[in-house]
Amino acid sequence: MLFRRIYQFLIVYIIGLAGLLAIKYGMGLSDYVIPGIELVAETAGRVVSDYFFDVLNTLSVTILGQFISIVLAFTVGILGRKSSWVGSFIKVMAYNIQAYPIVALAPIIFILLGDGFLSRLLIASMICYFPLLLSVLGIMAAPIKDIEHFYIATGRMRWQLEVKIRAFENLSKLTTVIAGSATLAMAGTIVAEFIAADAGIGYSIRIALYQSDLSGILVALFMIGIVISVYQGMLESLGEQMKTKWSAPKGGDLL
Amino acid sequence: MNMIKKIGMLLAGTFFCLSLVVSPAFSATLNYRLKWLFNTSVAGDIMADSGGFFSRAGLDVRVKEGGPEKNAIKELELGYADFGVASADQVIRALDKGADVVVLAQLFQVNPMQWIYRADQPEIRTLNDLRTRHIGVTFGGNDETIMNTLLAMAGLTPKDVRISSVRFDFTPFLKKKVEVWPVYRNSQGVILEDKLAKEGEFVKFFNPADFGVSFVANSVVTSGRMMKKHPEMVRTFITALMAAWEFAMDPANSYRVLSDITKRDKGTRDDIREKQLGETRLLIKPSSQIKIGTIDRAAWVQTETIMVKEKQVKARVYVEKRLAGPAF
Repeated sequence: MLFRRIYQFLIVYIIGLAGLLAIKYGMGLSDYVIPGIELVAETAGRVVSDYFFDVLNTLSVTILGQFISIVLAFTVGILGRKSSWVGSFIKVMAYNIQAYPIVALAPIIFILLGDGFLSRLLIASMICYFPLLLSVLGIMAAPIKDIEHFYIATGRMRWQLEVKIRAFENLSKLTTVIAGSATLAMAGTIVAEFIAADAGIGYSIRIALYQSDLSGILVALFMIGIVISVYQGMLESLGEQMKTKWSAPKGGDLL
Repeated sequence: MNMIKKIGMLLAGTFFCLSLVVSPAFSATLNYRLKWLFNTSVAGDIMADSGGFFSRAGLDVRVKEGGPEKNAIKELELGYADFGVASADQVIRALDKGADVVVLAQLFQVNPMQWIYRADQPEIRTLNDLRTRHIGVTFGGNDETIMNTLLAMAGLTPKDVRISSVRFDFTPFLKKKVEVWPVYRNSQGVILEDKLAKEGEFVKFFNPADFGVSFVANSVVTSGRMMKKHPEMVRTFITALMAAWEFAMDPANSYRVLSDITKRDKGTRDDIREKQLGETRLLIKPSSQIKIGTIDRAAWVQTETIMVKEKQVKARVYVEKRLAGPAF
């Protein structure tokens, strides 16, 4: 899973870079518009270690933001699953807040929290949380009638059991949604750093943009891509392990 | 084999899509890419269009708004623009990376990038007065380069002052967390001055040029190819544009100019726009003897020297050789 993620990313990155270089050499553009392979390599040699630590810095906020989002999304999703009014209210709120550009909300966040770690964390969580919530709400609100009917009829249904059944039956979906939300959390953190922070890869990209340094941006994109691929691959592997454990507890056979 | 086929198809598809996006066009309509959004800072560019300066010169010019992600020099090379506005640091960086760019006119004789501070704070009379101040800079931006140069001139190190990163909104300055904040004097400076005056606070501006740092700002540029192939067209364009700027900066034409700006910049109050025009005039034409567009060669060389010293470019690019000037 992990290896597949990495080589798929490398294919996409190489295709993108090859496309840019084809345009550069095809149109005879200078390094200012599209950097040549030598300049990209030279920039990579100069900034790769700094960018690596910047990406790790961003990733640490991403992981924390994603964790908070997952906990919140599951809590709200589970609480809101029963009531159709609460469920629809949460959905409307989530859709609305998702539509707000974070750049417009940022000044309010900075007034409340200042610019630094907390603002980055909040923005990362906000961007990651709402799509996650909508998925969790959708899954938790849909009954698995065939199975639940038995427990309801025998009077053994409890809310914990209901949540377990729905989570188990939708484990693949949930794993995909959680792994996918890593990208959202990463994007959210980078946006926050881009707007106002003095650390992280988003901050480094902003500086590169100020200086029209596309080679720096290409190196940053590579670092982001490779790190997020590894992280997503790990999440997916973890999901697979959980599925196996849930399906065959105590060494039993897989269903 | 299957995999190779798939990658091949993906590559072919990507190139096809990219070829649709990139069109090296040259049409009868000339494209003029500004550096920033339509506002009072580009009064002359707006007048060149709406005041009929281009059309009377027989030119069909589309004046295109700029923005944070727009880069006129890149557009010149890609064929999306024929003329543009770029700052001196953009020109020097582009030359450093092999771009073919020529400077036709220097719009701002005084760089609008200055620092604002409250009048009740000790006045910055000498560079040494920056010591212990809490100063805002945009890391990676021009203001950082300028501030580093000023501090070095004063023999100060970053440890002698407190530097904070600035962002899009002015909250840290308004909340008095940062004392000295970078602004564009003729746009943001006017707005902040007005906002604080309403709260009974008055401001002063710290202008690096007063302390010997003349870092050049916006200038009109074109490509070397355009200069070589269509010198007459370039001459006609720059003559019409400079005439429009002279018209726009003449106080006698304020009413007409402000009314034309209002049509394109609806988000600014009339009184603010009027003040902005006054400030812009001081930066574009600081005295009646200075002809608009005059290229200050010494300032360009100083800008390049600063950038080399600050390691913004690897080595000298001899920018003075690329300064064609409005009367070439």
